[in-house]
This record gives sequence, structure tokens and C-alpha cells, in this order.
Amino acid sequence: MNNKPTSPHIQIYKWNISSLTSIMHRISGVVLYATVVILCWYIVYYAYQVNYNEQSNYHNCECFITIFLKYFYYITLFSLVSALYYHFFNGIRHLFWDIGKGFNIDCSKKTGYIVIILTILATILSMAIALFLRYYI
Amino acid sequence: MKKLKIAPSTKNGASHWLHQRISAIAMIPLTIWIAISGIYIATDPLNYIAVFFAYPINAVMAILLIATALYHGSIGMRVIIEDYISCQSKKHFYIILINLLSIATAIAGILAITRLHLIG
Repeated sequence: MNNKPTSPHIQIYKWNISSLTSIMHRISGVVLYATVVILCWYIVYYAYQVNYNEQSNYHNCECFITIFLKYFYYITLFSLVSALYYHFFNGIRHLFWDIGKGFNIDCSKKTGYIVIILTILATILSMAIALFLRYYI
Repeated sequence: MKKLKIAPSTKNGASHWLHQRISAIAMIPLTIWIAISGIYIATDPLNYIAVFFAYPINAVMAILLIATALYHGSIGMRVIIEDYISCQSKKHFYIILINLLSIATAIAGILAITRLHLIG
């Protein structure tokens, strides 16, 4: 029983691009699922406390999420946006694999690096556009 | 020869695989929409979020996004639970929990966006 080869232990495992993109796809998927659930319940809260007929009625709830966001707003936003873009680009890579393209090792390594570079570029670009439009226009 | 014992799966992997891919394709335009409108809302959150869902295109896209994302996400969470939890009863408990959470969240979110659309 103990002589069977076991799956790679995480402490002694040499990281490479394929395992890294694979586990990051799962982690970002779980993060995005939690984000969608929390955001939905926040929209529920928002929709039933807002009243457009009265002026200056908007107020935030004093719950864990808003207190957390007060201190870690930009780091949270950066992680969520990069998780979204990463899952998006790597999901497109997975869809290309599912129709049978890009399976050989060189091509999949190359697309893995392309996915990471695109994620960083798209995250920085969209956050820069949002900050520029918010503070300079 | 001893018969190899294979752990019983939760039995409907093939249809879930296909539905995961179909919902992934449906998520592509919705993700592009949420990226663009996220940048739009972030420029002035308190003023834009109040009138954002008053536009029919935004309300429709948001409802489609909630439904598709929670469907895609519940299948994905199910696959992850099947991979990492070996105890059968715990596995089924968590899968049912995720499904119920997704359904409740989807119904509540769609109802809230309908309200924001109607009063916006």
C-alpha cells in the first residue's frame, strides 16, 4: 500500500507553468463564486434600503464587509479584478483545449505565459482607466 | 485477483462537463459587459449605481450574469468538492448546500435587480 506512487506533495513540488495556471484557475474560481454570492446579497440589501423619492438617503451598512473594504479597498479590488481577468483568459484557454487545439507542451507553456501577461496588462489597464476617469475628468 | 474498488462518483459527470462549457461560452460576453460597466461605475459609484439598473440593457445583462455565473459556479464548486472531500455523506451535504445557496442567491439577486430597475 505504501509503495504506491502518490500525488505530488505540495512542499517538495517543483512549480511549473501548467500546474500553476491549473491551481490558480481553481482558486480564482472559488474566489469569484464567493464574490458573486456576496455581491448579490449586497445588491439585495441595497435595493431594499434605497428610496429615490427622498434626498440623501443612501447609507452603508456597518457590517464586516464594509469595514473590511474601508481599510483594504484597493488591494481587494485589485485581487478581485485580476481573479476575474485570469479566470476569463484561462477559461478561453481551457475552451481551446476542449476543441482539441494547443495540446502540445510548447504551445500550452506559451499560452500559459500569455494568459498571465494578459491578466496583468488588463488588470492594470482597467484600474488605471477607472482611476483616471474618476480623478482627472 | 482482488477486485479493484473504485470510489463511486456522483454519477452525472458528463452532462455537467457539457453544461460547464456551455455556460462558460455564455459567460464570455457577460464578462466583457461586467468589465466595461465596472469601470463605468467605479468613476462615480454613489451616483451611477442608483441609476445604473434603470437602463433595460444593464438590468437584462445583470440578471443573465447572475443566473449564468451562479450556474457555472455551482457546477465548478461541485467539481472541487468532489475532488477534495472523500467522505461520501459530507460530499453530498456540501453539494446540496452549494446548490441551495446558489438557487437562493440567484432568486434574491434577480428580484433585487428587478426592483432597482422598476424604481430607478
